Amino acid sequence: MTAMTKREFDEDDGARVKRVKTESNGDGKTAAGSNPYLAHWNDEQPATKSEYGSGGGLDGFKRHATTTKQASAAEDGPNNAFTGRPLSSKYMSILKKRRDLPVHQQRHEFLKLYQESQILVFVGETGSGKTTQIPQFVLFDDLPQQNAKMVACTQPRRVAAMSVAQRVAEEMDVELGQEVGYSIRFEDKTGPNTILKYMTDGMLLREAMHDNNLTRYSTIILDEAHERTLATDILMGLLKEVVLRRKDLKLIIMSATLDATKFQKYFHNAPLLAVPGRTHPVEVFYTPAPERDYVEAALRTVLQIHATEPEGDILLFLTGEEEIEDACRKINLEAQDLSREGGAGPLVVYPLYGSLPPAQQQKIFNPAPPPATPGGRPGRKCIVSTNIAETSLTIDGIVYVVDPGFSKQKVYNPRIRVESLLVSPISKASAQQRAGRAGRTRPGKCFRLYTETAFKKELIEQTYPEILRSNLASTVLELKKLGVDDLVHFDLMDPPAPETLMRALEELNYLACLDDEGELTTLGGLASQFPLDPALAVMLITSPEFYCSNEILSLTALLSVPQIFVRPAANRKRADEMKELFAHPKGDQLTMLNVYHAFRSEEAQANPKQWCHDHFLSYRALQQADNVRLQLKRIMEREELELMSTPFENKKYYENIQRALVAGFFMQVAKRDGNGKSYITVKDEQNVLLHPSTVLAEDSEWVIYNEFVLTTKNYIRTVTSVKPEWLIDISPNYYDLAQFKKGEIKQALQRVVTKFQRKEAEQGRR
Amino acid sequence: MAQSDEEDDYMNMVFEDAPKGPKHETSLQRAARKRKEGEARARQKTKAEREADEEAAREASLATALPESNKGFKMMAKFGFKQGDTLGQSNDARKEPIRVNVKDDRGGIGLESEKKRKFREQWEEAERLAKRSKEEEGDYLEIRRQEQKEKKAERDLDSAQRTAERLSEKEAEEKDSLESGEKPLKNINVLWRSRARRRVEIKRDKQQRRELNDSIASRLPTLADADDGDDDSKVAQGRDLAPFYTTLENDLDDEDPELAEFEALPVAERLLKLLTFLRDAHQYCLYCGYQYPDAEMEGCPGLTEEDHD
Repeated sequence: MTAMTKREFDEDDGARVKRVKTESNGDGKTAAGSNPYLAHWNDEQPATKSEYGSGGGLDGFKRHATTTKQASAAEDGPNNAFTGRPLSSKYMSILKKRRDLPVHQQRHEFLKLYQESQILVFVGETGSGKTTQIPQFVLFDDLPQQNAKMVACTQPRRVAAMSVAQRVAEEMDVELGQEVGYSIRFEDKTGPNTILKYMTDGMLLREAMHDNNLTRYSTIILDEAHERTLATDILMGLLKEVVLRRKDLKLIIMSATLDATKFQKYFHNAPLLAVPGRTHPVEVFYTPAPERDYVEAALRTVLQIHATEPEGDILLFLTGEEEIEDACRKINLEAQDLSREGGAGPLVVYPLYGSLPPAQQQKIFNPAPPPATPGGRPGRKCIVSTNIAETSLTIDGIVYVVDPGFSKQKVYNPRIRVESLLVSPISKASAQQRAGRAGRTRPGKCFRLYTETAFKKELIEQTYPEILRSNLASTVLELKKLGVDDLVHFDLMDPPAPETLMRALEELNYLACLDDEGELTTLGGLASQFPLDPALAVMLITSPEFYCSNEILSLTALLSVPQIFVRPAANRKRADEMKELFAHPKGDQLTMLNVYHAFRSEEAQANPKQWCHDHFLSYRALQQADNVRLQLKRIMEREELELMSTPFENKKYYENIQRALVAGFFMQVAKRDGNGKSYITVKDEQNVLLHPSTVLAEDSEWVIYNEFVLTTKNYIRTVTSVKPEWLIDISPNYYDLAQFKKGEIKQALQRVVTKFQRKEAEQGRR
Repeated sequence: MAQSDEEDDYMNMVFEDAPKGPKHETSLQRAARKRKEGEARARQKTKAEREADEEAAREASLATALPESNKGFKMMAKFGFKQGDTLGQSNDARKEPIRVNVKDDRGGIGLESEKKRKFREQWEEAERLAKRSKEEEGDYLEIRRQEQKEKKAERDLDSAQRTAERLSEKEAEEKDSLESGEKPLKNINVLWRSRARRRVEIKRDKQQRRELNDSIASRLPTLADADDGDDDSKVAQGRDLAPFYTTLENDLDDEDPELAEFEALPVAERLLKLLTFLRDAHQYCLYCGYQYPDAEMEGCPGLTEEDHD
């Protein structure tokens, strides 16, 4: 808490400097006077109403009693209502477009309901403009600057938070990071002037940990609530209580699907406002019989559409990166043949998935190619996407949707403690959403690659919310920190199975974050300060005890970013050779550390991008790791955790790191099964194999792993060898042999204990 | 290095888990047993075995709920949680975690259940057949004998029909020589009508083939006489055939419930009917191969073949 306030003061100072800059722009007026948002830190001279000249500004605006007319007039300018600066011509042209958006038609109705009630459920389909416009409508009525508050708008995805904030800053004719900013994990682009903050739902949850009543905000908008992310669900549970304590806080739940009545019911029958989407009818086709191979069927369908259907772009839903890239290649080849034979126009194929670099993602907005010859058959683009294109992205021009009915979904099962992404059938709601994508520009067609009976009988109604499919250890720690004591009766919209909570509590207890009574320990309180999984947080916090906090800090950062190794399908061998350069015989974590140290070397930093490219490493991921490391380092310094390293010459250098790893990951250990290749996980007793990507060179009887991946085989990924005596030494609670089932693992551990005792006895005798 | 560990391991197991093992084991026996055990341990499991193990362990764990001894359970109990309760405040909260289903192929939605359905059907069919063959169990020879008998009966039926037709026609000719030629099928005795019908069918097939040849020929340009210009005659040719065609077709296409009913009877029964007819109408015995002069049929041992044995 104190740390937060301190930070704000610091930033205030920084902003004053910035203000001097604006003054020197020759505006003539003092920025403090022209910017109503600065009023709250300028006590001597409160901003008064009539200082904006003839520019309109926010004259006569009374909080929660404004009208659409007033707001429109203020938007028309000529000066920016929030900064007082003259509005640009770009602003004006954007304003015109904004007023064409479907939500604009209902601004009046919205305002009325917003003013009347504390909680409001707002339904608007993707493309209605709700994400960009509603927060602005709110600004003109909530006037957060008058009370030194902010309006928050949450997004499930980091990318969305960033790009929407950028867009809205443009719409409001302000600089991103000033009046409009964003805040995502490991990146805060807001300032003291910020009145509208786009943020990930996870970030708002973290803020709530420090400020249980979220006092910085006057209105909170939970956007894309239909996606039911873990953080959104927890936030809804929290805010349901906060609104009772804070009558001045307004809450808007925004959803893109019509099943909003569930939200209404949950929030004590809050009023609902729906903006009809601008959609065209979509004709849905089913296959007569189930498909043997949904990918092949999808490719066939795409090519058939391309060859026979009139103009219009195609959107194909597949499940993951590899599948998508493969499909793109195949469609490309076939389509070239088609157009060469004169059967069709040119076809451009774009992949779309989360881990694709942003520049590549942008390509999907390129217009379709022109006909090969003037007057020839029209060109077409085909986007092959994961379910990101289902709700969160609006791509115009899509007329044909091909839906095989699968997506990759996170699954967690507390019984075997595995959290994995598995290809699973989508829900009916998802299927409808997908079909809807075909009707954005004109009437469209949706080809479902399953039978109508299968649609009715096999698909579940709604996708399971994330909270039912996640490990809750992190969430439980957050909730405890938030002061929610009784987790059993915490009012969630869809409570998970009790075993999920049971397992989370148990894990946190073993990590010593919760005591046997379920109360937060000092370590737990400290761990909750880090935006990390509890195991990683505990590893980081305890790392000074192993004299390697610098290294563990780097490693934690590396484990928090996407895969750093790049292995392009066309160049696998070369990529593996390069990885071999960094390989550490004791395992992947140490190998990653080698990579990071090499990346930070002078040689690499001379031209890091090229260096990464040459070594088949992801520059983006490493850069991100750098950033994450810096953020975590700040928290460590704030919490007075010492940063240190064992001298590299010391033969215990690597052993210390391995021991520190055990301190966080002692619950993710596997022992080799006999002499074979397979391993058995400790306690859960699952048979697993080392993931093919591992570099572990030594014959290792015991390993810790970062991930248990469930595919057709059970794999453990990112492994490092450890010694069994470390396990017993570092986590005696978890390795209490009385709790173990009889078997090979228990025997092996028993031997270690016996050896220990013998040694001790011998020493005692001497 | 690993080897010595294994040795240790083995020793340990003997002392701990099998203290009451055979005390008097010769060194040879011991060595043999050791070798065997070592081999068993060293043997790498096949991929299939390993995968089966993997899945079995996974399924077993997935089916087992966390026990009340779980530390988390105790913490939850503090807030009044009991086994079987759900979380939160809604009435329809989950009790069980969501099932984990690993998809290991690219089968489309519905394929799995379609396969299951087909499999179930096949299984049911197999079961039904198995049941039937069990009922018919009796030995193979019995079945063969039955088959032979049936075939014989069919042959007998055919010759009986042939004879009956021949005798009837002869009788008809003797009675009224005028009435000959084509008789509508309906007027033929149902006992051998199937023979007549077969003949008509053959005739029609031939007719059709000829017709087809004709029409192909007529369409072939080389065969068409350009000067003649009598297209009409060709049309006429086609038309000429029409009436015959229609009668045939009508005859064949007409429903014949009488015949159908007769044909539906088992061979043995049909044969019996014919044998009876031959005796009653013509004093003929198929097995004697002789037409007796009077209804007494003296010398014929009986109606059936068995009687003639």
